[in-house]
Amino acid sequence: AVARCQLSPPWRALQASAVLRRVSDEQKKEPLASSSQQQFDSHPADHQPEQEPQGPRPSYTGQGGQESEDYESEEQLQHRILTAALEFVPEHGWTAEAIAEGAKTLGLSVAAAGMFHSDGSELILHFVSQCNTKLSELLEQEQKLVQLGEAEKKPTDQFLRDAVEARLRMLIPYIEKWPQALSILLLPHNIPSSLNLLTSMIDDIWHYAGDQSTDFNWYTRRAVLTGVYNTTELVMIQDSSPDFEDTWRFLENRVADAMNMGNTANQVQSTGEAVVQGLMGAAVTVSS
Amino acid sequence: KAVVDRVIRVDHAGEYGANRIYAGQMAVLGRSSAGPVIQQMWNQEKDHLKKFNELMVAYRVRPTVLLPFWNVAGFVLGAGTALLGKKGAMACTVAVEESISDHYNSQIRTLMEEDPEKYKELLQIIKQFRDDEREHHDIGLEHGAEAAPAYSILKTAIQLGCKAAIFLSERI
Repeated sequence: AVARCQLSPPWRALQASAVLRRVSDEQKKEPLASSSQQQFDSHPADHQPEQEPQGPRPSYTGQGGQESEDYESEEQLQHRILTAALEFVPEHGWTAEAIAEGAKTLGLSVAAAGMFHSDGSELILHFVSQCNTKLSELLEQEQKLVQLGEAEKKPTDQFLRDAVEARLRMLIPYIEKWPQALSILLLPHNIPSSLNLLTSMIDDIWHYAGDQSTDFNWYTRRAVLTGVYNTTELVMIQDSSPDFEDTWRFLENRVADAMNMGNTANQVQSTGEAVVQGLMGAAVTVSS
Repeated sequence: KAVVDRVIRVDHAGEYGANRIYAGQMAVLGRSSAGPVIQQMWNQEKDHLKKFNELMVAYRVRPTVLLPFWNVAGFVLGAGTALLGKKGAMACTVAVEESISDHYNSQIRTLMEEDPEKYKELLQIIKQFRDDEREHHDIGLEHGAEAAPAYSILKTAIQLGCKAAIFLSERI
């Protein structure tokens, strides 16, 4: 968080601090208003906030909060705003309006939305990241239960099905606006981040499924699961069946296909070997 | 995390390649007088690979995409040099093992500079493996590597190949 504060352009930090000062009259913000003067002074080195700050003291920040009880970094503030904004997505879509509404619920000025891109990219990426974290926690908990012997270890296809379903269900409240989000995630400036989030999510699922491959299978498994996930996601946004049962059935079939792929590969190899042996035999016969 | 990632990925690729090189050598010289020596060195490499497989799973490291390529290239190198005779195979061993020892040494230096305490287990493993590879190098010399045809050219070429392989496997 410290490094981020130091890297953010000065105007952004100033704008953020301006935002924090131009607040509504909720009482928790009052200490900030009074400390606004001190923001541009050197560090109030002798002053300790009552609550322990969550991060290390930054060496530079234009924001307020160094003295108030709810000290937080710019990154944490952005997270809070984005999380609050999610509530307004079904109504406003993944837009600056949703972010502005979210900022309002936190008692900040709507100008706080100026901290973010106007296309809602950060909001979507924040949401995806949050969902992935939730999925990891869910899978971690499941694993603990299995280790403690309180739950049965699921067969791989069942595990993959359940993991993908759990992750996709997190989209349900936002499903109307999800196509918009998908197209924004595909914008060139978002692709590195969205690809990163996707690959680490898929890697997580395989890890908890017990994948221990250290050869090229590592790649094939992840590629296949990514395909399953993406196609199921696309089916889901067009699905109008009750509780998305068509989607889950589609998922079940795709996972079964994926499992069969491994068997098919082996069969192809065996057949190939048999054919070669047959040819060799024929060659020997003909030559003698 | 990024440091450990690279280290394990490239070392795993290296041991995998070494395995395939010895497999290629055995395919040609398995029944010759050099067979047992090569087999023994190969067995040690198998242990090394097994260890890195475990580390890879434990640290959740991605293997290099180039593995299928190292599979073929390693075997071809081993078999190719073995076709030059026992001395050729030994020359290949000397060249590769020297590259690997140097590589392990620089990894040890890097890890020591970063944080010897944090990487204690990894350092121990790499040091042990570096010693093993050094031993293979010496065995190669004992068995007449330097008398191989075009020894210095062969050695330089192979070592260049190793450097390229290390560079690529760290990244892809």
